[in-house]
Amino acid sequence: MSNTKKWFSLNLRNTKTANNDSCGCGKTSGACDSSTNQHNLSDADFDAAVDTSIADETPKDGFGQVFDVQMDRRSAFKKLTASLLIGAGAVSTSCSVIADDDAKEKAQIDWEEQFKGNYKLMTNDEKSATVDRLVRSYQIRTGKTISMSSKNAEEDVLFGYAFNISKCQGYMDCVNACIEENNQDRNSEMQYIRIHEMKDGKGLNFREADDNYYHEVPAEGHFYMGTQCFHCDNPPCVEVCPVQATWREEDGLVVVDYDWCVGCRYCMAACPYDGRRFNWSKPEVPEKEVNHNQHYLGNRLRKKGVMEKCTFCVQRSRAGQNPACVEACPTGARIFGNLLDPESTIRWVLENKKVFRLKEDLGTEPKFWYFMD
Amino acid sequence: MCQKMIQQFLKEAVMNRQSILGTFAVAVLFSVVFTSCKKEEHQYHTVIDKIEAESQNYQGTSISSDQYLSEINLIEITEGDHTFLIPERKSQIKSFECNECHSKPIEELKGEGHGQKAHWDLTLIHANKSTMNCATCHDGSNMDELKSLTGVKIDFNNSYNLCSQCHSKELDDWKGGAHGKRMESWAPPRASLTCVDCHNPHDPSFDSRWPSRFNTQTEEERK
Repeated sequence: MSNTKKWFSLNLRNTKTANNDSCGCGKTSGACDSSTNQHNLSDADFDAAVDTSIADETPKDGFGQVFDVQMDRRSAFKKLTASLLIGAGAVSTSCSVIADDDAKEKAQIDWEEQFKGNYKLMTNDEKSATVDRLVRSYQIRTGKTISMSSKNAEEDVLFGYAFNISKCQGYMDCVNACIEENNQDRNSEMQYIRIHEMKDGKGLNFREADDNYYHEVPAEGHFYMGTQCFHCDNPPCVEVCPVQATWREEDGLVVVDYDWCVGCRYCMAACPYDGRRFNWSKPEVPEKEVNHNQHYLGNRLRKKGVMEKCTFCVQRSRAGQNPACVEACPTGARIFGNLLDPESTIRWVLENKKVFRLKEDLGTEPKFWYFMD
Repeated sequence: MCQKMIQQFLKEAVMNRQSILGTFAVAVLFSVVFTSCKKEEHQYHTVIDKIEAESQNYQGTSISSDQYLSEINLIEITEGDHTFLIPERKSQIKSFECNECHSKPIEELKGEGHGQKAHWDLTLIHANKSTMNCATCHDGSNMDELKSLTGVKIDFNNSYNLCSQCHSKELDDWKGGAHGKRMESWAPPRASLTCVDCHNPHDPSFDSRWPSRFNTQTEEERK
């Protein structure tokens, strides 16, 4: 493999004929691009290159995803060490005559969870298997039973959101409801929603806005604007994820597999809307405040070092309910619905009110619109 | 663009190699390029295009609001093009029906010297005195129903008809779904709160109050 490269190098000296024709699909990586860079390869090399690029698209099972990848010695050793520790734990507990059945079961669950694949690539059976394991593991650890869903996106549903900036009074009831619903870290006081208090007559000036006010609201001469994850249809956060731990579902929700995320925070940097949050410490939720109605991609308990964000309350919205923020808003400033249903209220808002989105020129296509009365 | 590139590449390949293997490689490349260009995520230019195209043959979904609304007492209304559910009101009003006390017109009751027995603390903070008083909405001779400006009876369940006499813009927005609040579920059938579920008709504006949250961590970090 003489010059098979997976990266793109600038050809400044113009040694070979540059092919400036780019593919119209707008995709700057993957197969479209490889055609322009690799047509000087020998045939065998070329076939091999095609095979590798196709292999990227074919789903692998959990073991395949972990082991069937090229890696350097360092990361290979890292993976092996982590796996060996778990394996050693599993073997010692399962062979031990003193360990009780719960401990053995827990070791078994840990083992299987360690080697499960990316949720995005799982079959429905694998999804429900991992959800069952997580529920059982929680039960063994705390003695409490949670319900966790792995419900997939419904056909003919595309979720969208509208926010009325004339109506919001800045009460922040939505923020509270969101934290309780989504089991957010109480320690670092994480919140997906920010309510920005903006001065009248200054436009949408986020630099001068205050999102942590504490005085009687609505304050004279101000208006309020809420931001959260906008569930872009062309999400830059998804593009940059090096391990594909975040993706856009068929119903438009941009979700994170907390068990696949490596915590690099590229997505946080790529998001132009400050929509993503990082767990710098182990998230803590008092046991009696834990919301037991959970979804794998939604409000299940997170761990240290992973990203999370608003999911439009996937555990609620996929079951037909409004997200917690919509339900909590006392002013009716928040509207949620199915963009594909021509009779839905969200569609009426889009078609009859003067709606706008933030940073529309970026082409991120957020599915979160603002409007005024 | 794609086609152009492929054509150029085809030409090049045929001229340079002319081997069966080469053509095969081109065929593989062609299929890869072709499928990747048709990737679904790049099918639409904007999300609005996507919504328009994909809702063309919308047949409804299996998700319904029924399971969340079954416990709530609702009535169906049709206003213009919109048919939806609103909460039944009369069963929620304390001491309805009114004529259990208001058996006679107000003036006569006053004359009998009963004094103020109920809702004597009501003050009207809604428009100004020259625009509105009790009799703008209530019919002194029939307290069980409301009345429009021209004296037409309006049922307490449909009190939005009373509000919409002045607030016509709000009515339009409410019918469409831009004003007011959906109950429980985004899915059809739609149930929306009606005016009096959020606004006290005697004092309709929202109170100012303290926000329900203050983030001490953020405050700490920004010091």
